[in-house]
Amino acid sequence: MRIRDAERLSRAIGTLGGGASLDRLVDRVYDLTDGSLALDRATLHRIARGKTRIARAIDSPEECVRLYFALMIVGCEQRLSVETVVAEGRAVLASFVGEPLAALIFRDLEATLPKLSDRTTLREYLEEGIRVWLPK
Amino acid sequence: MAAEVTIAPRAESHTLLAEEVRLRAHLRDDLGVRTRFAALPDVRALLVSPAARDGAKALVVASDATAAERIYLYVHVAAHIALEHHLPLVTIVEGPPGIARLETDARRHREAEDLARAMWWGRRGEGLAAPRLVRGSAVLRELVSRGITRAALRSLLLAMRAAYYDLRIERALARTRLAAWLRDALCVTAVVSAAPQLSD
Repeated sequence: MRIRDAERLSRAIGTLGGGASLDRLVDRVYDLTDGSLALDRATLHRIARGKTRIARAIDSPEECVRLYFALMIVGCEQRLSVETVVAEGRAVLASFVGEPLAALIFRDLEATLPKLSDRTTLREYLEEGIRVWLPK
Repeated sequence: MAAEVTIAPRAESHTLLAEEVRLRAHLRDDLGVRTRFAALPDVRALLVSPAARDGAKALVVASDATAAERIYLYVHVAAHIALEHHLPLVTIVEGPPGIARLETDARRHREAEDLARAMWWGRRGEGLAAPRLVRGSAVLRELVSRGITRAALRSLLLAMRAAYYDLRIERALARTRLAAWLRDALCVTAVVSAAPQLSD
């Protein structure tokens, strides 16, 4: 996938990662997506440093959305505020090429988020979102 | 769902728990809803659905919800599904009682409440309806339809239940129709006490 705004994506990953090492981030994304998104450390490193505009390891819109959900869950686990998680998650998604599934999911997210004020609930919603919307 | 003051039960009744399990199984087997429980500090339940009508759905219910509240949530969520409020790809969020809702949400919530009430008291089909023995009882339905009589009835039924066990007469009466009716009546009263909107 082509990255539209590498610098913003880099900042979003840094914020959502909350200072966690890239190794830990790679492992966590792998776990959260049940192994369906196998980013290697070198790829994530390049994306997180804003050093690339092409992410070959993420080669479908569905994988973008998987990464988007997984990084937002990591943000919840890092105890970031709901507002920060949502804003940075949106930056991750917007950094990749959009497509109908992403738009549909984003529409539901926009409608649902005002009803979720707590980080724990947001995390549960995102976890079920990955399972229901993006089954392996 | 305004909670009512009444004699606190010693524990969740077996009838109530069995009903909760039955309705949860109905959601899973007939509606494709997988249910799990989690700490949800700000909402009571979330139904996450795919874009397709028949896809597997997930219901996350607040782990502090009582069995009676869970039963209400299952019937209510099933009503949303029957009304196709979850399509296309709309997450149903059940907030705590009394929260302000967006107008669209409020309308859909009212529609689901109306259908849930019809499903709960419906005479046809066992799926999501109240226990069969008491479902058709006009007297019971009338008593649980008003807060005062509902609270009094619940207190009376809980007192009878306590006596039933304290006097050790459960073995003698367990299989009688009267005991079964009283168990089901207590179950229905508990659910309507947790969710008065299920009454008329």
